[in-house]
Formats: sequence, C-alpha cells, structure tokens
Amino acid sequence: MLSLLLLIPFLGAATLLLWPSTPAPGRMRAIAITALALQLVWSLRVLVAFDPSFGGMQLEESVAWVESIGLNYQLGVDGLSLPLVLINAALTLVSAVCTRDISQRPRIYFSLLLVISGAVNGAFLAENLLLFFLFYELELIPLWLLISIWGGADRAYAATKFLIFTAISGVLILGAFLGLALFTGTVDFSLTPIVGERLAMGSQVVLLLALLVGFGIKIPLVPFHTWLPDAHTQASTPVSVLLAGVLLKLGTYGVLRFCLGLFPEAWPLIAPGLAIWAAVSVLYGSLAAIAQRDMKRMVAYSSVGHMGTILLAAAAATPLSLLGAVFQMVSHGLISALLFLLVGIVYRKTGTRDLDVLRGLLNPERGLPFTGSLMILGVMASAGLPGMAGFISEFLVFRGSISAFPLATLLCMVGSGLTAVYFLLLVNRAFFGRLAITPPTADPSADGRLDIRLLGVDLRETLPALGLSLAVVGLGVWPAGLGLLGEATSTALAQLPALVAAAQGGLG
Amino acid sequence: MPVIPALLTVAGGRPSAAELETSLLAGQTLLADSPEHVVEVVDVLCSYGEVLDAYSINLIYQAEHQFLNPFPVFRFLDGDLSPAKIWRHLNHDRINFEYAEYCMKAMLWHGTGGLDAYLDTPAFATDCAAIIRYKTRRDLLLGVLHPLFPNFLPEAIRAAATTHALGQFWRVMSDLFLDLARAEAAGEVASIPAVVEFIKAGLVNAAANPITYSVDLGGERFWVLPPEAGLTFLVDVAVPYVEAVFLRGMPFLGTVSFNAQAQQISPELEQFRYGALYADPLPTMGAGIPPSLLMQDMYRHLPERLHNLYRLRTRGEGDVRVKICSSFQKSMFCVTNAAINGTFPQPLASPDPAAQAANRAYAAAWAQRLAGARTDCLG
Repeated sequence: MLSLLLLIPFLGAATLLLWPSTPAPGRMRAIAITALALQLVWSLRVLVAFDPSFGGMQLEESVAWVESIGLNYQLGVDGLSLPLVLINAALTLVSAVCTRDISQRPRIYFSLLLVISGAVNGAFLAENLLLFFLFYELELIPLWLLISIWGGADRAYAATKFLIFTAISGVLILGAFLGLALFTGTVDFSLTPIVGERLAMGSQVVLLLALLVGFGIKIPLVPFHTWLPDAHTQASTPVSVLLAGVLLKLGTYGVLRFCLGLFPEAWPLIAPGLAIWAAVSVLYGSLAAIAQRDMKRMVAYSSVGHMGTILLAAAAATPLSLLGAVFQMVSHGLISALLFLLVGIVYRKTGTRDLDVLRGLLNPERGLPFTGSLMILGVMASAGLPGMAGFISEFLVFRGSISAFPLATLLCMVGSGLTAVYFLLLVNRAFFGRLAITPPTADPSADGRLDIRLLGVDLRETLPALGLSLAVVGLGVWPAGLGLLGEATSTALAQLPALVAAAQGGLG
Repeated sequence: MPVIPALLTVAGGRPSAAELETSLLAGQTLLADSPEHVVEVVDVLCSYGEVLDAYSINLIYQAEHQFLNPFPVFRFLDGDLSPAKIWRHLNHDRINFEYAEYCMKAMLWHGTGGLDAYLDTPAFATDCAAIIRYKTRRDLLLGVLHPLFPNFLPEAIRAAATTHALGQFWRVMSDLFLDLARAEAAGEVASIPAVVEFIKAGLVNAAANPITYSVDLGGERFWVLPPEAGLTFLVDVAVPYVEAVFLRGMPFLGTVSFNAQAQQISPELEQFRYGALYADPLPTMGAGIPPSLLMQDMYRHLPERLHNLYRLRTRGEGDVRVKICSSFQKSMFCVTNAAINGTFPQPLASPDPAAQAANRAYAAAWAQRLAGARTDCLG
C-alpha cells in the first residue's frame, strides 16, 4: 500500500519524461496534476487504513535490497509521518496547480516536482536509515534545478548556496549513520533506539550532534539558516510553497525520528542546550523578519522562527509538546504555503515585493482585496490567533514545554509574539493606505494623484490559497482529528527516554 | 512577461495656476474637449441627475415631514411605509440618502454665503422661537429638551433649513443635468465647451429663483426661510454649495483620525481641501469614504453607453465605481467651469483695462484654488 505513494509520483515523472513528441505545457501540467491528485487520494486511502490508536509503525512493507550494507527497502507509517505524507500530497498538488504560464521546459519542471514529492514520501516512510538518506538526497538535486532554472535574477547564487548547505547536511547525516555502524560494529540501519550497552554515551552524543547539525541545516536553525531566505527569494512561488511547506519538515521529522528516536538515552543530556538553541533560533528569526523589506524574505525568516519552536518541543519531549510538534509541522506547512502563495500573487500582479514601495493593496476596486483579506487571515494564523491552526500548535508546544524548560519556552513565546509585530508591519505597509506600487517620490502630492491600473486576480488564481485558508481555519476549529492521528505516536516517542532509562536501570 | 510597476502607474497632467488662469480668461474649458469626454460627462451627469432627483425629493420630504422629529427612523422612505418599500430599504435596494445628508452637513458646517448668514439673523431667531414655542407645547420630549439645551432646537431648525435649501438646489440641478442628456441625445450639445455653456445657461436662468421654506404644523404655516429674506438660488445656495462640497468638503470619516494624528488636517476650515474636486477616486468603495455611496447610487442609473465604455477599460466591471468617480470629477470641473464663467465680474470680451483687471483677479483667485485640485483628470 505504501509503495504506491512512491510509485505514483515516480511513474508520473517517468510518464512526463517519456511522453512521445512535445505535448503542450497545459497537457503536461494536467498529467502532473492527475498524478498528484492520485497521490493525494491514495494518501487519504492510507489514512483510512491507518489505526490511530496504535503508536508504532503500521502498514509496513519490507524487501531485502542490499543486505550486505544494511540497505533494505522498509516502509512504514505512524502518527508522526502520516500527517506529513498528507501535507506533502496536498502541497505538491497546490504547487502544480498554481504553476501557470510556464513556457520554459515544462516537461522537466513538472517531472522534478513529481520526483521531489515521491522522494519526500520515501523519506517520511523509510524505516531504514540508508533508505531515508537515499530519499533525503534524492529531493536535493531536483530542488536545486527548480531554483537554478526557474528562479529569479540571482538564482545561480541562491541555488548554489542551497546545494552547498544541504549537501553538508547530507554528509553529516550520512556520516552519523555510518558512524553508528562503525561504532556498534553492525550494519543494522533499522530504527531501533541506541542504548548504552550498544554504544558508549560519548559516541552517542557525538553522533547525535552530527545528526542535529545535519537536520538543523535543513530546518533551518540559526546559524545554519542563511541559505533559506536566499533560496525563497529566488525560487518561484510553487517552489517556495514546496520548500516551506514540505521540504523543511524533513529536518524536523529527522530530529524527531532519528535524533530523539534513535538516541533517547543521550537526548536528555543535550535537551537543555537544544531548548536554548530553539529560543535563539525563534528570537533571531523573528527579529530578522522585522528588519526585512522584501515580503518573501520576511515570510522566510518567519519560517526560521516558527520551525525553531519544533526544536523546543522536541527538546522538552513530553507527550503534549511532541503532539504540538506534529501540529506545528502541519500548521506551519499550511500557513507558510498560504503566505508564499499570496506573496506570489502580489508579485505577479505588481512586479514588486518591496515593503518600501507597496501600499494600499486592500484597495477595494483597484487593489487585490481578496488576496489581502486572505493575507490578513494568514498572518493572523501565523501569529497564533485562536480559531486557526497556529494557535493550536503553538499552545500545545508551549504548554508541553514550559514545565521542562520554562525560560526557553518563555523566550520562544516572546518570539511568537514578535510574529504579530512583523506581520502587522507587513500588512500595514503593503495593504493599508493609498494604493501604490512604485517608490515614493519627493512630491507626495504627485504620488497621491497616480492612477494605478493593476490587473485583477481571477478566482482560479486564488483557489489554491482559498483552499489552504480553509484548511488553516479547519485545523484551528477542529484540531481533534490531527490530535487523534498523532497522539499515540507522540506519546510513545515521549516515553522512549524514560523507557530506555528504566530498562538500563533494570539491567544495571 | 514580467510586470513593470511603472507601466501600471499613470500620472495625469498637472496644469499650473497660471495655465488655468489663462484658460479661464481665454474662455477655454478646463476639461479637454474630446468625444470620449463628452460621453463621460454627459452620461455621468445623466445618472447624477437621476440620483439628485431622488436626493432632492427626500431632502424636501425630510425638511417638511420629519421636521424636529427626534427619532426620524423612516426618513429615507419618503412617507411610503409599505412592507415592500421597507423590505427594499432593509435589503439595501435603495438610493444612499446618507450621502445627501453628508453634503447638507458639509454646507451647514462650513457655513458660507447668504443662507448661512440668514440663519444667524434676529428674523430667523424670531421665527425659530415661534416654532419652538408651538412644538414644545405639544411634544413632551422637546418640551424637556429645550430648557435643558436651548441651542439644540434652533440648530436642528438650521439643519432643516439647509436640508430644504439643498433639496431645492438639487431640484434645479437634477432637471438641468437630465435636460443636458436630452440635448446631447438630440444632437444640440456635442462638445465640452457646449456642455459648459449649457450648464452655465441653466445656472444663469435659475440664478434668481427664490429659496423659501415653511413648515405646516397642526394646520398652521410657519416660515423658516420666508420670501422676505430674499434668498436666491445662485448666490445664497449654489455658491455656498460649491464652496462646501466641491472645494472644502470634509475629511472622510474613515481617514479623519489617521489624518488628524498625522497633523494633515488644518484647524482652519478655509484651508480645507477635501471637496469633490480634490477627492481621490482611487479609494472609492473603501470603508468610511462617503463618495462611495454616491458612486454606488450613480452606478444604479448608469447609461448603457457609458457602462459599455467602462467595460472596455482597465478592470471592466471590477473597478467601475472608481471610473464613475473619475468621470464624475471631470463633470464637476465642467460645472465649476460653468459657474466661474457665469460669475465673472465683467464680460470676458470687454476691452476696458479695469474690467480686464477685475476678471484677471477673479480668474487668478479661482486658478489658485483649482491648481491643487485633481486637475490630472482634465487632459
């Protein structure tokens, strides 16, 4: 059942690449959307088959592959990976739908989208460390190509920076996995937690730190974040949606699955440091966002801030905080994708994202009032207003973490509060006041007389953003569904350190 | 194709005061003459005429039948309290009479010209006292209110007088604008100079019309603006109206607080530049922007010819009210142009140097005020 989640997008990509002659871009888009819709349907089929009361891996598939090096084709899904598989399917579909008027190499473009989606599914479902790494690396090159071919003016710089950072991330993760084999003397790359009798605490900490830095680059955490704002700024809107909504989650998923999951014994040792790291990341991301003048960079820095809270939740490792982490991954995926979509619409219609230039886009007749309204909803959700996804996730994270790390949690709450500051700055600058899309001149009277003739936004252009907005509100109003899905797994994961400690104590 | 913001941004011409003065003295129109401008001005004035007809009827109804009514809940229904009318009102299938009230308040607040001067005379105070004496004897609430707030009822009567006077003014203007549309349809008016001339002739014809107002209370007639006050259409109502609504106006409710905080609103009423000729069409339909109400009303009566023209421009139906506002501004420049032409102190063709100097001074004063207006629509 799970293999189809890989097969559908990979077959879709192969179909596009092998399609005879040169089909029209619209047809290629239709093929990609069909494949991604099938993937979404099948993801929902997996959801139906999934038993949320069981915290372990389900629907497992296993085929021996290269046993001599410990590489097996092992797939499984639990309450941590299933929400991410669903959001991957949904957001890749959104990315394909919001890709319009693509004239440059559409065949390659849509194939790469499908490959990324399949690889991300593979990474989320892999039960074998090497298999995870293969899929983790597999999404790297397509994303690099998507930025470097279909990106903005400085795409070469941004794409290369992305490649270097994430390649180092891959090296560190692979190094940690191989180090595991080296230190334990086995080629067991399954998800079995590492305990003291297999590996000394010092070695555990070293490997854990290597993994944390590796995944910290991907999340990204300060100071490994500098690739993200550049990548977002240069990437096209659909790629930004995918990057923020899905690909960053590989980092947080990795932290929860492979750092906390593999090293539950070493985890409490470094957790206080991680909590501080999370607070620094949240505060830095938020403060940096306040200073931005490019709407897209502001949203990118807000990602740095919001993804930091997931590290806080992981550090606290309580059932509630880990459930909050699952919520935060999903809600950040939806909200950041929504914000990038809306910034994309603004850029497509006005030709600029400069907050020193844009004004009054909520203008009822000549501006982008519906886009602006959704933007206000999106920033409210991001700032954690009740009734929307952001509130549930941040409340769970903070409530679950405050007893473990009160100071770090309070600092993260301050960072979360700063979200309101920078997004209100964004909304106030770009959406209120008199409509303007050109820099102000020295003559305000002349500026106040300019007639602005923006093209309107078609409903079909807004539909993906509208869908995401509904999902953001839906998750905020009815969080029980996702809670049910993730609760058993997050509880089991939270109990790992205690279980391992108890087992060690019993053995001792 | 990348979007280049500068290409989506259009800056109109901004003639200087000297250029405007030259045009006025040369007898040229402020608005450039073009077939498209003729369609815009005539058709938008046609729809405005329909709206003014409704405004005028309602203002006169309010002044005569809702006089000193402390709770005028049904004042917009013109006395028709049928369920169908009330339903249409609640469903907002109606003219926005609030805009007419806004204009009345602007006139009352700025208080210039003969009408306002009369409202402060002893004769008016005497008439007011008689009315108040009659009303307070029969209305318990007013009987209690008046001793507590002795300025309240006289001020309410001033408001009623301004309401009625504005209703009479708009009666004339409505007929004039609808006549203009008929004349254009008949081929009698085919250019912007002809439009300005038509309006000027209409204003001159009505200039001496008396402005009077009385109320019927219990079968007894009480004068508020009696014939002996000698108030006339042009000098006592039209000129103050132009001053209050075309030129000064009021900062819109939705922006007043923001502008006041930014120290952008002068405390001097004479310095106000928020009138129809200065209004920015772009925020039309924004919250708290009263012209939105007028644009919506004109949209209901928009002639198909102009509507079709709008459908071809910018966002078509999507920004139609902004386009109506822009056309309306052009038409208001034509009306102002006609008013200026009709009130030059001396004939423009006069060879007398003293007459020319007087005309020059008059034109210069107007040009100075208009130079800061939205003249970018005139090209």
